[in-house]
Amino acid sequence: MKLVAITSCPNGIAHTYMAAEKLNKAAEAKGIDITVETQGSIGVENELTEEAIASADGVVIAADKTVDKTRFAGKPVLEVASADAIRRADELLEQFENGEVEVYGEKSGKQQAQETINEEKQKKKRKQNPIYRHLMNGVSYMIPFVVVGGLLIAISLSLGGESTPDGLQIPEDSFWSSINQLGGAAFQFMVPILAGFIAMSIADRPGLAPGMVGGYVAANGSFYGSDAGAGFIGGIIAGFIAGYIARWIKNVKVPEMIQPIMPILIIPIAASLAVGLIFIFILGSPIAGIMEGLSSWLEGMQGSSRILLGIILGAMITFDMGGPVNKVAFLFGAALITEGQPEIMGAIAAAICTPPLGMGLASLINKRRYAKDEQEAGKAAVAMGLVGITEGAIPFAAADPLRVIPSIMVGGMSAGAIAMMGGVADNVPHGGPVVAVFGAIDNVLMFFLAIIVGTIITAILANVLKKSKVVEEA
Amino acid sequence: MSITQLIDHQLIELDLAGDSKDAILQELVELIAENGALNDRHQFLSDLQKREQESSTGVGFEIAIPHGKSTGVDETKIAVGRNLSGVEWASLDGEPVQLVFLIAVPAEASGDEHLKILQQLSRKLMDDDFRNALKQAETKDNMLNTLSQID
Repeated sequence: MKLVAITSCPNGIAHTYMAAEKLNKAAEAKGIDITVETQGSIGVENELTEEAIASADGVVIAADKTVDKTRFAGKPVLEVASADAIRRADELLEQFENGEVEVYGEKSGKQQAQETINEEKQKKKRKQNPIYRHLMNGVSYMIPFVVVGGLLIAISLSLGGESTPDGLQIPEDSFWSSINQLGGAAFQFMVPILAGFIAMSIADRPGLAPGMVGGYVAANGSFYGSDAGAGFIGGIIAGFIAGYIARWIKNVKVPEMIQPIMPILIIPIAASLAVGLIFIFILGSPIAGIMEGLSSWLEGMQGSSRILLGIILGAMITFDMGGPVNKVAFLFGAALITEGQPEIMGAIAAAICTPPLGMGLASLINKRRYAKDEQEAGKAAVAMGLVGITEGAIPFAAADPLRVIPSIMVGGMSAGAIAMMGGVADNVPHGGPVVAVFGAIDNVLMFFLAIIVGTIITAILANVLKKSKVVEEA
Repeated sequence: MSITQLIDHQLIELDLAGDSKDAILQELVELIAENGALNDRHQFLSDLQKREQESSTGVGFEIAIPHGKSTGVDETKIAVGRNLSGVEWASLDGEPVQLVFLIAVPAEASGDEHLKILQQLSRKLMDDDFRNALKQAETKDNMLNTLSQID
C-alpha cells in the first residue's frame, strides 16, 4: 500500500514534525510506503508531487489548520488533528488497511453540496463579526434558563392560575405557586447569565464574575432608583462593558509578583467594580428618567387616535420584552383597566405574546436560519407565548438584536393596531391567549385575529431579515 | 549550526522543583531568561500559555514540548527539565509528564537553521531509545551527549 500525508500545526515548530515522524515509523512497521509533506514554520518541505498523489492509495491529513483538499479528489482522505497522528498513527493507518476511509469528492451530490455549504459556513463564521460571536455565546448559556423559567411559569399559570382584577394570580399557598416561584428563580438568572457569558467570551474566565455582577445590577433597578431594571438589553450592555474592561485590564503589564493573582483576584474585582459602578451611576439613573418621561408621554396620548395608541403600545411592549419600555406600557395599560378603559390592555395583551409566538413560528418554518439550541428555544417560546410570557423571544432578540427586534416590533404593532380596531378589551393585566381562556377578553375573535396576524408578520419579517445571515451548525 | 548552540548545561535541570505545569513553565522560562535569550519574559510566558490553551503540548510518551514564537524572545533556545515522579500536563494520553522541552523561538528570526534543529529534535523525540536515554541520563553531560546525536 502507498499513502501520502500532510502534517501541520499552529506554530509549525514541533507537532508538525512529530506527527510526520510518527506516521513514518508506523508506516515502516506495517510495510506501508508513505510520503509525508510537512507544512511547518520552515515552510512546505517534502512537497507531494502530482505523481506521488496519483499513485497513492490514500491520504492522511494530520493538521490543525485548513488544508486544501482539492488535489486529493477521488482518493480516500482521512482528516485528523496533528495530535492524533502523534498519539495513534497505527490506528489511522489501519483504517486505510481496512478500507474504512471515505473517498473525498466522490460523495453523493447531496452530501457534497452539504459539505460545500458547511465549508462556506465555516468561512463565514471565521469572518463573523466578533460582537455576534460574543452575543451567541451569552445566548446559548441563557437559553436553558429562559426555557426552564418560562415553561415552569407557563405550566403553573395555566394549571393553577385564577383570573383576578390584579392579573392572573396563583393562590399563594398552592402547589402551583411553588412551581411558579421556581420558574421565577430561573428567570432571575437569565440576564446575569447572558451578561456573564458575553463577558466570558470576550475576556475568558476573568470576565465571568464581572459580567454576571454587571448583569445582575442591570436587571435590578433598585440599584439605581428605578422601578424596572434595564432588561436584557441592559444585560447585553453590561456584558460587553464587563468583558472589554476585563480584557483591557488583562493586557496591562504588571510586575511578575502580581501576575499569578491577576486572573482570579485583580481582574474580576476591578472589572466588577467598574461595570457595577458605571451602571449604578452613569447608565442606570437615566433609565428611571426615561421611564417617567415615557409614562407621562403615554398619558398625554390618551386623547389621540386609538389605532395610533395601539401601534405605539405594541412597539413598546415588544421592544425590550420585560425591560423598562415594556414595563411602562404594561403599567399604563394595567392602570387604565381600573379607569374603565380595558381596551388599552386588550391591545397590550395581543401584542405581548406575538414575539415568542412569532419567533417560535419563524424557527419552525425555516430551521436553517437558527442554531440547534435556538430551534429548541423556539418550541419553548411557543408555549410561553400562549400564556403571555413575552420573555420567550429574548434568546432570539439577544442573539441578533438588529434583525429580530425590528421584526417583533412590527409584529407587535400590527397586533396592537388590529386589537384596537376590533375593540378588544382585556379586564386583567396579563396577556396572551391564556387570558381569553380565562374569560377575561371581550371580542375574543378579533383578539385571536390580532395575535395570529402579529405572529405571522413577526415570523415572516424575521426570516426575511435573517436571509443575509448564516447560522453556525450546532 | 548544531543543537549545542541552542542548549547548554545551564539550560538543563535534571530535577525540576516544580510539580505542576505552571510551576515548571515558570522554572524553565527562568532558565532561559538567565541565559539572556529573552527581552520580555512575561510576554513569552503568556505566549506559551496561549499555545497551551490551543491544545496541550503534552504529546504523550511522558514528554511535553511547550513552545512559543514570541516577541519576548531574542534568540532561539531550548531548556530541558526532568521530573521523574511525573507531572500532570493534560497530556493526550492522560499520562503524567517526566521530560519537558521548553522551546523559545523569536517571532521574527533570520534564517531557518534553528527551526531545522527543532524539527530534528521533534522527530527524534518519537524514538523510544532516544527518550529512554534522556530519562536515564545521570548527569547534564550525559543528557547533552544524548541530545547531540541530533545533527
